[in-house]
Amino acid sequence: MRDVAVVAFTQAKSVRAERDLNETEILIPVIHDIKRGAGLETKDIDFVCSGSSDYLAGQSFAFVSGLDAIGAWPPVSESHVEMDGAWALYEAWVKIQTGHADTALVYGFGKPSMGDLSRTLALQLDPYCVVPLWPDAVSVAALQARLCLEGGVLSEREMAEVAVRDRGKGKSNPYAQVTGDFDVDALLAEPTFVSPLRRHDCSPISDGASAMIIAAGDRARDLAERPAWIRGLEHIVEPQDLGIRDLTTSRSTQIAADRAAVGKDKIDVAEVCGPFTHQSILVERALGLGESVDVNPSGGALSAHPLMAAGLTRIGEASKRIWDGSADRAVAHATSGPCLQQNLVCVLEGA
Amino acid sequence: MSELPPITYTLEYPYTRTTGPVVGAFLTALRDGRILGSRCGDRVICPPLEFDPDTAEPVAQDLVEVGPGGTVKSWTWIAEPTRKHPFQQPFAFALIVLDGADTALSHAVKARGIDAMSTGMRVRAQWREERASAVTDVYFVPEADAVDTYVPPGEGEVELTEHLISLDFKEAIHPFRERFARGLIAGKFIGQKSPVSGKVYIPSKGYDPLARVAMTEADDVELPPVGIVAGYTVITPVQYYGQKETEPYIRASILLDGADQPLGQQDIKNIPHDEFRSGMRLRAVFRPESERKIVEMDNRWGSTGGVIDHWEPTGEPDAPPEKYLEHLF
Amino acid sequence: MAERCGIVGIGQTKHDSKRLDVSMVGLVREAALRALEDAELTWKDIDAVVIGKAPDLFEGVMMPELYLADALGGAYKPMLRVHTAGSVGGSTGIVAASLVEAGVHDRVLAVAFEKQSESNAMWALSIAMPFSVATVAGAGGFFAPLIRGYMRRSGAPEDTGIRVAVKDRLNALKNPYAHLHMEDISFDLVAASPMLWDPVRYLETCPSSDGACAMVFASEKLAEQTQTPPAWVHATAMRSEPTMFSGRDQVMPQASLDNAKALYKQAGITNPRKEIDCAEMYVPFSWFEPMWCEGMLFAEPNEGWKMTYEGATALDGDLPVNMSGGVLSSNPIGASGLLRFAEAALQVRGQAGEHQVDGARKALGHAYGGGSQYFSTWIVSSDKP
Repeated sequence: MRDVAVVAFTQAKSVRAERDLNETEILIPVIHDIKRGAGLETKDIDFVCSGSSDYLAGQSFAFVSGLDAIGAWPPVSESHVEMDGAWALYEAWVKIQTGHADTALVYGFGKPSMGDLSRTLALQLDPYCVVPLWPDAVSVAALQARLCLEGGVLSEREMAEVAVRDRGKGKSNPYAQVTGDFDVDALLAEPTFVSPLRRHDCSPISDGASAMIIAAGDRARDLAERPAWIRGLEHIVEPQDLGIRDLTTSRSTQIAADRAAVGKDKIDVAEVCGPFTHQSILVERALGLGESVDVNPSGGALSAHPLMAAGLTRIGEASKRIWDGSADRAVAHATSGPCLQQNLVCVLEGA
Repeated sequence: MSELPPITYTLEYPYTRTTGPVVGAFLTALRDGRILGSRCGDRVICPPLEFDPDTAEPVAQDLVEVGPGGTVKSWTWIAEPTRKHPFQQPFAFALIVLDGADTALSHAVKARGIDAMSTGMRVRAQWREERASAVTDVYFVPEADAVDTYVPPGEGEVELTEHLISLDFKEAIHPFRERFARGLIAGKFIGQKSPVSGKVYIPSKGYDPLARVAMTEADDVELPPVGIVAGYTVITPVQYYGQKETEPYIRASILLDGADQPLGQQDIKNIPHDEFRSGMRLRAVFRPESERKIVEMDNRWGSTGGVIDHWEPTGEPDAPPEKYLEHLF
Repeated sequence: MAERCGIVGIGQTKHDSKRLDVSMVGLVREAALRALEDAELTWKDIDAVVIGKAPDLFEGVMMPELYLADALGGAYKPMLRVHTAGSVGGSTGIVAASLVEAGVHDRVLAVAFEKQSESNAMWALSIAMPFSVATVAGAGGFFAPLIRGYMRRSGAPEDTGIRVAVKDRLNALKNPYAHLHMEDISFDLVAASPMLWDPVRYLETCPSSDGACAMVFASEKLAEQTQTPPAWVHATAMRSEPTMFSGRDQVMPQASLDNAKALYKQAGITNPRKEIDCAEMYVPFSWFEPMWCEGMLFAEPNEGWKMTYEGATALDGDLPVNMSGGVLSSNPIGASGLLRFAEAALQVRGQAGEHQVDGARKALGHAYGGGSQYFSTWIVSSDKP
């Protein structure tokens, strides 16, 4: 395998509803900034890959106008996944591994505020036997949370502690959306929102975008003082039917973590994409994180959850900790689908 | 000036799903008052699958009856149902392990209140009087509330299940499009001249599409309502959900004088099809001011819908091809 | 650096306007099981699955690969979903091949599909910008002006498109999987069909189909063990450019030309017309055959129509194009690109049955999408690269 590293990352500030920009326009300054920051022009980038979803915009081919944002002229070698940008990173990483590219620009973007996100996500379920009932995404997560709570896998207090931790750390992240100092007991005194979930258990709905540049070998060393080397990049999907899967663990995260050799050495920082507090706990356990790990220094998905970019952003945030030397080894996670159906794990190292 | 109303649209289509043999048998039985699962190794899976979910190996079509009673494995409460939901009063979504099945079915439970729900509770299937060969033909109630009724079998096998999917989208109209739209209402075409390339775009996207530099109000330019036909097609309408046209119609791209990109998809009403041609010079005739309204505007491509009544020939000689050859849409 | 990659299994469904007999799961599994059978493999032999399809709005399922993951043997394996507009089928094949070329996996299953009868492509494309609500025209309304532009600049005879339509439908009669089997196809029949999007006649247009295509890719060592020799991937290329900007050549996009040059360079091809034995290209409206003959550098600018006219692109011509009947005969949109790539592989494996080109050793698979702005292509050969 070629040595490939994350050398640049930028993101838009997540907001609940962007008033004046469409998703392409959210992306334009992000792409401008990342190219300028890395000192690269379109011609210096061998491959481009993005992640987005047509359903967020309610239009077929919604990703096409993203080509405006990246400056695809002269024409670029480019691909797109209908997945979080973290999987676009995976495709770009594979492209570099083939030897057909040395540098790649990766981005993810979405503007879910245009629609009713929780109900739109119901369309990810079995179209014959489940979707006609319209179980929205929060209700589906609530079914999983109750299984975990009543199965003794975790407690409401542990869930609230995740919200307090992430939103507290999010205060120092200028791109985050919902942050602040909260008290576990006060949160637990709040009524349930979608039983057994309370509002603090749910990530916000965010409009946003993020972009990353990765490069191979010496190219990476040219572009970053201390590149964040990708030492493991694995993803796994589970069967979908909620009644078949064991929803109280994240087996796919565990398999991906094993393959990425997360446990081979000490992890300093973890960036976990948990759209709901209980899901964050399940992922942290599946990753096998020890007590000393700094989890979600960025505030995680509970502080900002720009769907289609949130997973890529976790990898970008973990890379920042490598670049600034505050971590030698970090793990980042991305998720997709109902109840953590699909998970990606990325191990980054400073050396 | 008051703000223009937000852009709204509804994405709606009545999907027709062919069921194949297994889902078809499940929905046929459901319509007829029975629930089926599929035998897969030593498990019974409900709803049934055409394959083994762990290995993808095909499974023999061995469907067995399960339920109608079952046990709630997990649940949540929908306090504020929407029109899409199976009930218009508060109800529960639940994972239900039906008697005889090893996996849980995701479905709705009609309970009197959140306090009537608990994990481990017994529920029982109830059938709707009007059945539609869909998974919504059945619902569940707490066992004590169950009333067994005769479910008369329907006719034939279910091979199709229909589902109207409808989603609403809404977005505020962005500043540049607002100026473009207000221009249209005032009977004017407002484009933007790129400060980088000098090219004039209408409708502008609000940024130069190559240099990706945002354009501002200072870059706005007014263009005359006169231009040339850069490209066109005559469309014979095919009927489908939402199609309103019935007769052949022209859609043309018109390059306004001074513009570097044509206005796409213009509706040409008053010009006979056999006289219409590329290079023809046309003038926009706006609707009377009181009848102009902004329709089908979006923040991505723009639109002139609801404002221009028709285009009429100016009578000038046709423009030579080099004027419009690279501006087909 | 890049490992060699061989195509060891190819499968497709019978394509039809409405596959009333199968569910979405049944449709994709029909193609996948045929590809596995061809490769003499089972589900457990597959390391990863790549799924491609065009807009989710067609089936009304958001990211349907999540729903289909276990039906395609993806449970507890890596699964990717590609979407690059109409070129997606081609991109799906390229991503799957690159997983092997990168040395990440030994065996990868690629599946692309569309079940258009669940909704209506005209509807789904009419709400897709730039096929805006106001257009209600579908893809034809968008491409007709480009075809008019090509006719004007090339001066091609007006019946060029009719000739392509007849040729591809005749080829389809030799392909049992094709959607359209028009026994009575003739020049007069096409010429007399209604002008749907002037200058495009009804019979110069692709149908709307339900269908799927699947391929199995294997690393060199494993590919060498198969009974039917593999099709070796020699080169892949993808190029994209923005939909609209002043000065864009929409008839002959730069992305198409750049893509062709990059592809041939990687494949070591200097004279494509001579070195390539047959080409399966994405021709949804008949006039795109001469256009892409130029776009793939088989012909000089404005002379692609001569290849059609002189019979060079016929099954017995010097560069047969769309031996399977092409998109004009079967168009499950998301799968259409992979079907082109698969036909190229079938030809060099000698598996194309009645539409086999004698002695085909090197073939082009081509797909495009969006507003003529996404291109994906590959070269496959019976010879190892």
